[in-house]
Amino acid sequence: MPDGLAAARVLLTDLVGDRAESWDRTGLLPRELLVRLGAAGYLCPQVATAHGGLGWDSAEDGEFTAHVGSLCSSLRSIMTSQGMAAWTIDRLGTEQQRSGLLTRLTGGELAAVAFSEPQAGSDLSAITTRIVRDGDSVVVDGIKTWSTAAAYADIVVVVGILGDGGAGAVVVPTREPGVQVERIADPLGCRAAGHADIRLTRVRLPATSLLGGGGQFLPLLVTTALAYGRMSVAWGCVGILRACLAAAGAHARSREQFGRPLGSHQLVARHLADLLMAEQAATRACEHASRCWDEGSADQVLATVLAKHVSATQAARGSAIAVQVLASAATRDGHMVARAYRDAKCMEIIEGSNEMCQLLLADHVLATK
Amino acid sequence: MTQLGVHDATADSGEVEKDILRFLEAQTKRSWDPRVDLFAAGGLSSLFAMQLVVHLEQTHGISIRGADLRLDNFRTVASMVALVYRLRGAAGASGA
Repeated sequence: MPDGLAAARVLLTDLVGDRAESWDRTGLLPRELLVRLGAAGYLCPQVATAHGGLGWDSAEDGEFTAHVGSLCSSLRSIMTSQGMAAWTIDRLGTEQQRSGLLTRLTGGELAAVAFSEPQAGSDLSAITTRIVRDGDSVVVDGIKTWSTAAAYADIVVVVGILGDGGAGAVVVPTREPGVQVERIADPLGCRAAGHADIRLTRVRLPATSLLGGGGQFLPLLVTTALAYGRMSVAWGCVGILRACLAAAGAHARSREQFGRPLGSHQLVARHLADLLMAEQAATRACEHASRCWDEGSADQVLATVLAKHVSATQAARGSAIAVQVLASAATRDGHMVARAYRDAKCMEIIEGSNEMCQLLLADHVLATK
Repeated sequence: MTQLGVHDATADSGEVEKDILRFLEAQTKRSWDPRVDLFAAGGLSSLFAMQLVVHLEQTHGISIRGADLRLDNFRTVASMVALVYRLRGAAGASGA
């Protein structure tokens, strides 16, 4: 393991400590922690060193993301959003936009990405947020919903339709007049991840806020931006599974019923085997996808969807198994395994639901096999 | 540009076209006309558009970013050849 990654893991273990439970119960992460991690480059580790980032590859970022995911999925979700914003700026922005904005994202500013709308969830072709050019400005109008990390964000990358054709991603500072960010109360999972609805009413911004001048192909823009989010969620789910595996293993060794440890009861032992299988399958799928990313292989596109789907479904299944093994010990809010159970379920919905991933995978089979 | 440069570029764009057609065929198990609209009804998916982006970047040493992620650049094999040629020229001009 590279030194930087090993040190980052130790630092995060230390910083999170035993606080993930209270973050989950209060639904809040300490802002100073997020700013500190952001300024150290840890919220988007793949950003190039030239832009103040750590310059990690996908495999290193993935292992780190899994580690944070094993500690706290809310914090990991913040990383997913910041990383997705950075990736979108990197792919869509001009050189000037890249150097300006990425330096801010590695300097302590927090970011989110806003795709979903009340009538555009899985079907992002139904997006109605408008970005209209007006001289040296662009004017943004629309309603975005369930934007992860938006409640903490200084800037939000908003995806919309351009008045003069094509799609665009515009960087909206949340302090601008006309921007209203409203935190969603009591989400099922990743409770402290700052999910919010965003109302944009005649938000006037400099035209330079529109990444790459806009006019991109909406499906390509969305697929590009989501690609990073899918990798991040997939690795985060590996972390959920690792934490569940450790908790279930420890409990099955130490807890005794009918005069012997739980693990020596065959029906419980089978749960442990299933949990190990889930963790290993998810890990291998993520490692393969990261390798494809780092090699620049075109296979990365499919491997990313596959990793996301395998990891999310295995995490949902694995965390349910862990609840079953720990039983009453884990059936209270805030407990690591209870959090995993709620958080993992949300991972089957975000960044491409199970069903959307299945459709993409099936399309691939129909088109190529 | 010198006569030699023009000649090289022409030979080169033939290679780029061949590569893209090969990639399309290998991925989709069917042959494509260089001028057909790949993304028209019954054509390729948005996921495949992304695969094309990554393939072109990897194979031709270019970076497709920003405003170049327009559908018009990927609509046909011919438009992708033009894109590769233009971005290679840009990379050469900036000394990359």
